[in-house]
Amino acid sequence: MHVDRGQLRRDPWFLIGLGLATVFGLLALLGPPLAPFDPWDMRFAPISPPTGHHWLGVNDGGQDILSELLFAVRNTVAFGLLSGMTSLVLGIVAGLASGWYGGVLDAFLMRLSDVLLAVPAIMILILTAALFRPDPWVLALILSGLMWPTVAKTIRAQTLGLKGRLHVRAAVQMGGGGGYVLRRHLLPEMFPLYLIGFSAKARMAMFMEASLAFLGLFDPSRKSLGMMINYALQFYYLDVWWHWLLPPVLCLSFLIMAVTFLAVALEKVMDPRLRASAEVGP
Amino acid sequence: MSLRVEHLGVVYRDGDHGVLALDDVSLALEPGRCLALVGESGSGKTTLGKACMGLLPRNAEIGGCILLEGRPLDLEDEAAMNRVRWSAVSMVFQSGAANLNPVHRVLDQVAEPLIQNQGAKRAGARERAAEALEKVGLERGLHGRYPHQLSGGQAQRVLLAMAGILDPEVVLLDEPTSALDAASKTFVARAIREMKAAGKALLLISHDLEFALYQADAVAVIYLGQIMETLPASELLSNPRHPYTLALGRSYPAMDTVRDLGGIRGDAFYRIVHRHGRDNGGVAPHTHIQIPGSSHRDGHPPPTGCLFQNRCTQAISACSHGEIALEEADGHRVRCLRGGIVRLLRMEGVSKQYDAVRALDGVDLEVKAGEVLSLVGETGSGKTTLAMTAAGVLRPDAGTRVFDGEDMDGWIRRDYRSLARRIGVIYQNPAEAVSHRFTVLDAVAEPLRIHGLAGGREDLEERVKRRLQDVHLSTDPGFLERYPHELNMGAIQRVCMARALVLDPGLLVADEPTSSLDPSVQAKIMKLLLHLQAEMGLSLLFVTHDIGLARKISDRIAVMLAGRIVEIGPASMILHAPGHPYTRLLLESAAGRLPEIPPRMEAAEDPGSGCAFAPRCARRTGACLSLAPLLAENGPRQVACHAPLPEG
Repeated sequence: MHVDRGQLRRDPWFLIGLGLATVFGLLALLGPPLAPFDPWDMRFAPISPPTGHHWLGVNDGGQDILSELLFAVRNTVAFGLLSGMTSLVLGIVAGLASGWYGGVLDAFLMRLSDVLLAVPAIMILILTAALFRPDPWVLALILSGLMWPTVAKTIRAQTLGLKGRLHVRAAVQMGGGGGYVLRRHLLPEMFPLYLIGFSAKARMAMFMEASLAFLGLFDPSRKSLGMMINYALQFYYLDVWWHWLLPPVLCLSFLIMAVTFLAVALEKVMDPRLRASAEVGP
Repeated sequence: MSLRVEHLGVVYRDGDHGVLALDDVSLALEPGRCLALVGESGSGKTTLGKACMGLLPRNAEIGGCILLEGRPLDLEDEAAMNRVRWSAVSMVFQSGAANLNPVHRVLDQVAEPLIQNQGAKRAGARERAAEALEKVGLERGLHGRYPHQLSGGQAQRVLLAMAGILDPEVVLLDEPTSALDAASKTFVARAIREMKAAGKALLLISHDLEFALYQADAVAVIYLGQIMETLPASELLSNPRHPYTLALGRSYPAMDTVRDLGGIRGDAFYRIVHRHGRDNGGVAPHTHIQIPGSSHRDGHPPPTGCLFQNRCTQAISACSHGEIALEEADGHRVRCLRGGIVRLLRMEGVSKQYDAVRALDGVDLEVKAGEVLSLVGETGSGKTTLAMTAAGVLRPDAGTRVFDGEDMDGWIRRDYRSLARRIGVIYQNPAEAVSHRFTVLDAVAEPLRIHGLAGGREDLEERVKRRLQDVHLSTDPGFLERYPHELNMGAIQRVCMARALVLDPGLLVADEPTSSLDPSVQAKIMKLLLHLQAEMGLSLLFVTHDIGLARKISDRIAVMLAGRIVEIGPASMILHAPGHPYTRLLLESAAGRLPEIPPRMEAAEDPGSGCAFAPRCARRTGACLSLAPLLAENGPRQVACHAPLPEG
């Protein structure tokens, strides 16, 4: 699997995606110091339009919307990154193990992933969140536990293909054990798959986080894009949509666009054989 | 009359040390038989001949004894030796003209022994000398000439006539043919035949192996003054037991040699004897081995053990200890700790089934240490499966594999890595065999890293560079950092060769290593491969569909068809006189000739249980269709055919 870096650098999808991702990354990192006010501070005049002081106005609870938005982006990005990373790691481990060792392990892992794929993740999350009110990080981990099978299946398919490749067989002939071959021949070979898997999962997780928050299943004091949209929608009869509803909607959209564009760009430069097997859907 | 040499040792003294020329040599020359003594120059062949004649220089110290007709010769007693010399034992010296007196006519020189030893009259002696000269093919017009007016071949014949003039019972011929062209050799050959028929005992000293093979009855192979092997002459090239004999044979351009000449790796030693303890710093008298061009102070290999160890293809650490004796082994006497050439790999009854396809069907195969064995056959005949089974990559469904005396399957289960270290594999498609993420350095270093054999970055690079040099690739840092897609196919295959050889394996399995290369690159790669095979003393199992290529490189060829070996034997024999019709088909197709068209198969005839070649065979009979033929001895080769092709 070879990535043509030059082609990537000229690809508008990649450039836009990278630009958006950089902006949101910076916002997430620098959110608290950038925020003009404490987002939990309720001392401002509720439901006021943007002013020089409050660029995006104040919400019904008397909190600065811009500060709220910065904290919400941070939470959503963190949720997405954690879920994406965890499901990627789980998927890689399960996929490599099934593909390389095969046999009973492979059968078990693949049947397990079939089961997990058949379960609607959103239902499990809603039920868990509603019944147990867990920490958002725990929810992120549960989501990862539900999302890894697609990554694992892709990695497994690729491992099976690589297993038959001559350089891998040669390494085995030379006495290279499973650990060596996985480390030197298989893991580096599938790098683009990780990016695609990660972006798909991160996007799914961010969307999921927003949905759960929108449904009010998180701690109400936790700042979240979904919750902001929910509250803003309750005041849609006032003329607040453009400064209260639109910013979180745009942020969510651009976040999801950023990872999607990156995934599409990477997918385009990759091996055509892989394009069919790599999963990019929501 | 017989001449026996018993425990003969000769040291050429030079100050406080000496050069050991012969070491415990025992030989017997029997009437009516010719013994050939072969070996490289400097091995002591001529010294032995001269010793029998009592002609060694004064600085030679002689041990052991030479018995003529059971009575020891007193080599010190000039008068006694003079009576024996020429009349009982004579010698044809090497390099003709130099041994003739330049100021006498050749006829007079041939006649001289008659006058001196037998007191013959001058005229009668000259007449007999003229007859003797005519017998070796020198016509009368040349008899009156002086030695410098004769060609080398003619002078050689004069010496031959001179040696036989007194009708001695024992004749020693020292390189009688080395200066002769093929046509002149026949005079010598005829003279040898006649002398043998006349009941004379002959010693033929020669490095002309083919001449020795056809003229002698038995051959003694001598190396550094020690007899390494004695064997029947007919087996000299086809069935040697000592690695040195094999290597000599491989270096010699015999008429039916088809592979390229191999040579013997490394250089021979000298053997130096030190004995004056006082003058030598109190060092006890000892014999040691010295490499040409070095001095005693440079240090030297251990003085004991096998003399051939540094050039041998199968030396083990035990080879450098103790004295190794000549041991009897079916008609041969071999001086080898390992009992002669070892079988590095032995497979018996190896079978492998892929779903419905029987890829290997009870195959027996041996790979000897230091030999090149080619597997040839059409696509799907099981060559690659067999090679990969030999390499330990594939596990057969049935049968045993033994590598270097140990059961391979047990070895793989117990400790595959230590086996992998001893077997290198080169694959058909070099571009696929190297990960595109590996640089040249990474690729060649891979086995070292897997086995944890490199001590640090510098050591690793050093070892990789050495191997890259061996395969004639650049070693500059820029090249080490190149990726495979930046190299051409020939270079990648060299990288693969370097990788396969970096651990110094004993067996190299090469699966069609050049089939993806164009002929000019193929030629270079094959030359290199053969050179490395000889230099590193590797055994090479070479898989190819190209019998023409196999012809240039193989010591032995195995022809495969439908998962079986149908013919196996010395390459020259298989190529010149194929025994299996399938081998002939391969040879004819390779030469561009159309094979014979076989009779049409009847619908009822089912070749299932019979010979796999039967449907294409013009010689098939009813038996071929019902019963698969087994490999059977057919001269030095084995053929699996109910009606093998006649020789020639």
